[in-house]
Amino acid sequence: MPFDAANLFPILPEIAILVTASVVLVLDLYLKEKDKDINHTLTLIGLLVAIGLTGAVGGGDARVVFDGNVVRDGLTDLLRGAILVVSLLAFVYARPWLKDRGLFVGEFYVLGLFAILGMLIMVSANSFLTIYLGLELQALSLYALVAFDRDSKKGAEAAMKYFVLGALGSGMLLYGVSMIYGATGSIEFGPVAQAVAEQGMDNKVLVFGVVFLVIGVGFKFGAVPFHMWVPDIYEGAPTPAVLLLGSAPKIAAFALAIRMLVDGLEAIQPDWQGMLLILAVLSMGLGNLVAIAQTNIKRMLAYSTISHVGFIFLGLLAGSAQGYASAMFYAIVYAVMSTGAFGILLILSRKGFDAENLDDLKGLNDRDSWYAAMMALVMFSMAGVPPTVGFMAKLLVLESVVRIDLVWLALVAVAFSIIGAFYYLRVVKVIYFDKPDPDMPVLTTSGGVRFAMSLNGLSLLALGLFPATLLSWCQSVFV
Amino acid sequence: MGFEKFLFYVFATITLVAAGMVITRRNPVHAVLYLVLAFISSAALWILLEAEFLGIVLVLVYVGAVMVLFLFVVMMLDVDIATLRAGFIRYLPIGALIAVVLALEIFLIVGPANFGLQQFPAPAPAAPGVSNTEELGLLLYTLYVYPFEIAAVILLVAIVAAIRLTLRRRSDTKYMDPAQQVRVKKGPDRIRIVKMPSERAAVPAVAASAAPQESTE
Amino acid sequence: MIALSDYLILAAGLFMLAVAGIFLNRKNVILLLMCIELMLLAVNMNFVAFSHFLGDMTGQVFVFFILTVAAAEAAIGLAILVVVFRSQQTINVEDLDSLKG
Repeated sequence: MPFDAANLFPILPEIAILVTASVVLVLDLYLKEKDKDINHTLTLIGLLVAIGLTGAVGGGDARVVFDGNVVRDGLTDLLRGAILVVSLLAFVYARPWLKDRGLFVGEFYVLGLFAILGMLIMVSANSFLTIYLGLELQALSLYALVAFDRDSKKGAEAAMKYFVLGALGSGMLLYGVSMIYGATGSIEFGPVAQAVAEQGMDNKVLVFGVVFLVIGVGFKFGAVPFHMWVPDIYEGAPTPAVLLLGSAPKIAAFALAIRMLVDGLEAIQPDWQGMLLILAVLSMGLGNLVAIAQTNIKRMLAYSTISHVGFIFLGLLAGSAQGYASAMFYAIVYAVMSTGAFGILLILSRKGFDAENLDDLKGLNDRDSWYAAMMALVMFSMAGVPPTVGFMAKLLVLESVVRIDLVWLALVAVAFSIIGAFYYLRVVKVIYFDKPDPDMPVLTTSGGVRFAMSLNGLSLLALGLFPATLLSWCQSVFV
Repeated sequence: MGFEKFLFYVFATITLVAAGMVITRRNPVHAVLYLVLAFISSAALWILLEAEFLGIVLVLVYVGAVMVLFLFVVMMLDVDIATLRAGFIRYLPIGALIAVVLALEIFLIVGPANFGLQQFPAPAPAAPGVSNTEELGLLLYTLYVYPFEIAAVILLVAIVAAIRLTLRRRSDTKYMDPAQQVRVKKGPDRIRIVKMPSERAAVPAVAASAAPQESTE
Repeated sequence: MIALSDYLILAAGLFMLAVAGIFLNRKNVILLLMCIELMLLAVNMNFVAFSHFLGDMTGQVFVFFILTVAAAEAAIGLAILVVVFRSQQTINVEDLDSLKG
C-alpha cells in the first residue's frame, strides 16, 4: 500500500514543533554563550508557525489518517491552539528567570518543545497506543524539566517523586488498556466504542478495565486521592518548569480523558460517572480546604489546581455534549489563569531570589500597579468572581451538573468555591493593602514580558465579558 | 500438550517467586538479579505464546541493556543497605492486606469464568513457515509507522534528558584541544618574546622562570 | 491446554506483587523503580496473552512500544536518581524531607 503524502497535512503542527526542537538541539551546540537568545527566538517562531499551521489545516470534517492512529477534528484544532498559545506565553515569562540563574541553555527549550509535541500528539490521538506514547513523551520531558536545576536539592527530590508517581499512574493506565484490549480486541477508539456498545454494561471485564483507566487519568490530572505529587512538585520544581507542567498539560489531560472515556467508552458512561463523581467531590473539598492553610504561594496554587481539577471533572461526569463543552472551556481557561499566576511569580523573582511566599507579593501595587492589576485579575478569575471568565467557566460547569439532576453536587461545588474564594482574595488583599518591604528593588521587566502578561491578564477579562466565541467553538466540537 | 502445560507451570512459578524475591530482598543487587530472572522466565512464557520476537527482545534489550543499567547505577551509588530496610516490617501488614484484597478482586475478574477455554479456545499452532518477526515488522512499518516515529522521539528525549541531568563539565579538569595544537605555527604561536627591563643581579632568576611559563599556554 | 485465564492470573499476580512492593518499599527509590518495571512486565504479559488468544498482532505491537518507552523511562529515572544521590548522598526516601508531602 503506497504511502499517501496527504496523510501528513493534518499533523503539520506536530512536524513544525519537531523540526524546531531538532534545529534548536543541533544549533545549540554551535552557539556561543552570548548568542543563546537565538534558541529563544527560534522556539517562539516555531510555536507561532505551529499556531499558524493549526489554523491552516484546521476546520472541516473530522479526518482520520495514518491507518486510524491520528484524528483531526474540532477537538484537536481547538486544544492544539490552546496548548500552543499557553506554551508560547510560558516561554516568554521563563526567559529572564533562566538567564539570571545560568540555566539559559538549549536543553530547556528542547525538552519544553518535546513536552508540547507530546501534548499535541495526545490531543490528536485516535488509538490507545498513540495517546499512551504522547502521554509518555510529555511526561518524560517534564520529569527532566523538573530536575533541570541540577544543583537544587529540592528540584531533584521533586523530580524523583514526580517520576515514581507518574510511572505508577502510567502503569495503572496501561493495565486498564490491556483489559479493554482483551475485552474488545482493538486499541483504536472507533472499533472499541463499537464493541463496547454491543457488549454494554454486562461485561465485568470492561468495567474492571475502566477502573484502572480512571485511576490513571486521576494520577495524570492530580485528582484526590491521587494528588500526593502535586504540592511537592509545585513547591520543589523550578518555577519555569512548574509553569510548563501546571498549565498546558491540564489541557492535554482533558484530551486524555475525553478521548479514552468519551470517544472510546461512552457506552459505559454510568460506570465512570460514579468514579469521577467521587474524585470530583474529594478534589474540590481537599483542594480548597488545604489551600487556606498554605503560606507558600506555590503550594497554595498547587492545592488550587487540585480543586479546579474537581470542577473539570464535574463537567466530564455530566456525560452530555453541554457538559463536555463546559469542561473543555474550563480546562482552557484554567490553563490561561495558571500561566498568568506563575508568570507573575517569575516576574517577581530575580537573581538569587525566588518569589515563593505570600509575603513576597506584599504591596505589589506600590511596586508596579499594572502587574498588581493583572495578578488581581488572575486571582478574581480563579475565585470565580464576575465579570472575569472564571465565573463564566464555573457557571457553565454547574449548569451541566444541574441539568442531570445532581443539584446537591452543584450546591457542594458552590460551597467549596466560596471557601476557596477566601484564599484567592487574601492574595489580592496582600497585593493592595500591605506595605512592601522598603528594601525591595524596583521591578524591571522587558517589554515582551510586559506585553505577554497584559495579554494574559486582559484576556481573562475579555473572555469573561465576551465568552461567546470561545464557548461556541467548544460547543461546536461536541454536537 | 502435557509438556507445554508443564513448561508453563515451571516458568510461571519461577516468574512469581522471582518477583516476590525482588520486592523482599534486602540487597538491591540481589533484587536486580531476581528481576533479571523474572524477565528471562517471562521471555520463555512469551515464546510459549508464539511471540518469539518479543521474547528475544525482552532478553537482549531489556535484560541486556536496561537491567545492566540498573546494576550499574546500584553499584555506582554505593547504597547503604542496612538503613534502607529498617521500616520494612512496619509496612508489611498493610502491604499484605492491600495485596490480598487486590488479588482477590483481580482473580475474580480474570479467572476461568471470563477467560476460560470455553470463551477463548486455544488457537491452532502457527504453521511452520510463519515468521513472527516478519509479521511484526510488516505491521510496524505500515499500520504503525506513526507510533514508530513517536517512539523514536521518545528515545531522543531520553538521550537529551539523561545527558543534561548527569553530564557535568568539571571546572578543575584540564584538557587540551588537539586541533589547536596541530594548528600551531612556527612563529608567534610557539614562542613569545617578552621584553623585560634589565634588572639588578639578584632578581633575574625569578623573571626568567616566569616568562617561559606564559608562552607555553 | 493452557487457558487464557492462566496467563491473566499470572499477570495479575505480578501486578499485585508490584503494587505490594511499592507499598512495602516506599523508602528505597531504586526498589520502587524495579517495582514499576515489574508492573510493566505484568501489563506486557496481559497484552501478549490476549494477542495470542485473539489471534491479533496488535497486542504484540503494543508490547513492542511499551518496551521501548520503559527503556527510555528507566534511563531518565536512573538519571534523576543519580542527580538526587549527588545532591544529598542518599536514596533513602525518609531523608528526602525538604518537601513536606
